[in-house]
Amino acid sequence: MLKVGKWGKTIIYSVLTVYVVIIATPFAMIFVNSFKSLRDIFLNPFSLPSTLNVQNYVEAWKSANLFNAYVNSFLVSTLSVGGILIMSSMLAYVISRYDFPFRRTIYLFIIVGLALPARLAIIPIYVMLNDLNLLDTRTGLIVVYIATGISFATFLMKRFMDGIPAEIEESARIDGASPWTIFLKIALPLTRPAMIVVGLVNFVGIWNDFFFPLIIINSENKETVPLAISIFFGEFSNKWQLISAALSLSVLPIMVIFFLLSKYFIAGMTEGAIK
Amino acid sequence: MARRFALKRRATLRKGIAVSIKKRYVLLFVLPALILYVTFVIYPFIFSFILSFYKWPGAGAKTFVGLQNFKDILFGSFGNEFRNAFMHNIYYFILVTIFELGLGFLLAIFLVSIVKGKRFFQMMVYLPNIISMILVGFIWSMMLNPQIGLVNQFLRHVGLGALAQPWLGDPNLALNTIIAVNVWRNLGFYVLVFTASLLDIPRELLEAAYIDGASNFKVITKILFPLTIPTFQTLSILLFIWTFNVFDIVYALEGAQAGPFRSTDVLGTLFYRTAFGGLGSSRADFGLGAAVAVLIFLVVMPLSLVYAYVVDRRSRNA
Repeated sequence: MLKVGKWGKTIIYSVLTVYVVIIATPFAMIFVNSFKSLRDIFLNPFSLPSTLNVQNYVEAWKSANLFNAYVNSFLVSTLSVGGILIMSSMLAYVISRYDFPFRRTIYLFIIVGLALPARLAIIPIYVMLNDLNLLDTRTGLIVVYIATGISFATFLMKRFMDGIPAEIEESARIDGASPWTIFLKIALPLTRPAMIVVGLVNFVGIWNDFFFPLIIINSENKETVPLAISIFFGEFSNKWQLISAALSLSVLPIMVIFFLLSKYFIAGMTEGAIK
Repeated sequence: MARRFALKRRATLRKGIAVSIKKRYVLLFVLPALILYVTFVIYPFIFSFILSFYKWPGAGAKTFVGLQNFKDILFGSFGNEFRNAFMHNIYYFILVTIFELGLGFLLAIFLVSIVKGKRFFQMMVYLPNIISMILVGFIWSMMLNPQIGLVNQFLRHVGLGALAQPWLGDPNLALNTIIAVNVWRNLGFYVLVFTASLLDIPRELLEAAYIDGASNFKVITKILFPLTIPTFQTLSILLFIWTFNVFDIVYALEGAQAGPFRSTDVLGTLFYRTAFGGLGSSRADFGLGAAVAVLIFLVVMPLSLVYAYVVDRRSRNA
């Protein structure tokens, strides 16, 4: 955008390179440390591992309860995202396409949730889940994630649907198709790009969330990845080689997904609530 | 029949075509989301308000205490702890805003001015953002560890050993360290938002300025900056709201006690301790916790409404 000369370019590329090094170093550190022995970590902080201690991974995988945690995180994230997508696309569709009483009021009411920090309401949520026998269950977690995800998803999908010409649905309507059929057969396929973005943003957000599992989940077999790592970090403090392995195991999958789908990640963010 | 399918035009509608719909369909589409949203988002907020007037250990009967909880928090036995945490939030907000928005804007200008490697840099810059904040906290607690941490080791290696610090153990440093880790993780988000907003600026404006002989500095201060002010505004509002949500990073680096000596305590950790206990909380009570939540809410709410208003207005103009 700016017109920069040779010097300008040198400065820009140097700054960006330094920044990338600062970003990459901590990740490189846990990765390298995860193959070292504890002695090696203390004595040779900057060198590559002198022996490849793959058993760090085996031990971390087992003692951090990571298999269980992965299954739980995957279940909770997928089901929550599914719920968010179904409910929000229905709501967004009817608000975007039809006229009915309180349409605008309902929309604004939902939008307010964009800026309500759901964590502040955790005490009543906790009490309610307890009354419903959903405390310390993955279902409880999923219900909370769906409810708190509706605002953002509805907002984004409504905006996307507003951009699709309504004429496409016109002929189906004249043929007497019901709103439900039109929604399923015509509107939903057209909103796929928005669904991908909304789904991805929510998936990562839920996968990464720590606060709700910390409050809602108690049993070891229901822990999500962030919670499992946090407990492992407390119990195995100072066993840095194992902690590094556990951290690598929890960071790598999400990084791979990111590198594969970075286009959607970046779109999700810029198309999001702020532009 | 014809009337039901009639097109209605309304000033409030964006591009103006809205079709009427049978009530049962409205209910079918609206109710699932609305019921869940009201039950688990709206109702809990209202319930928090009510609870803040009670004393309640979480089980058994609630005792109505009027404004006692608020008195305790603002002026009473709990006051110092609350003010301490509140000031930390304000400090956090100011520093994070300066660094994340300032550096974010600058790096975004860099990014839009290069061609080669742009996608790579964009990706790398955003990378930390997709990692859970709690994991980022643990990774950095290793980086900053006094014995094995690379930060101090590096300083010693390059002969700057005097600068090696107990980054997380010194009450005067710890909060700044946490803010730095926060910037490390979140900066990329702001870079990319500013990048998107810079790319929306018409190129002709810049061309014209260059033809008139404007320097890059002039272009930045007279064109790019003024035209991205709306982005600065929206992001500051969001940062303010998000700052009062800070919890994970403090919990990961300093624990729920927000040590050393509460020097990193923020309202998020204070709220957690009051509501869900944890050793060393001066008092654990759902009523008191709800009162803390209500106070945070009252601070954040005006800006939340401004944000919702801005977003709604923009999406209608879009």
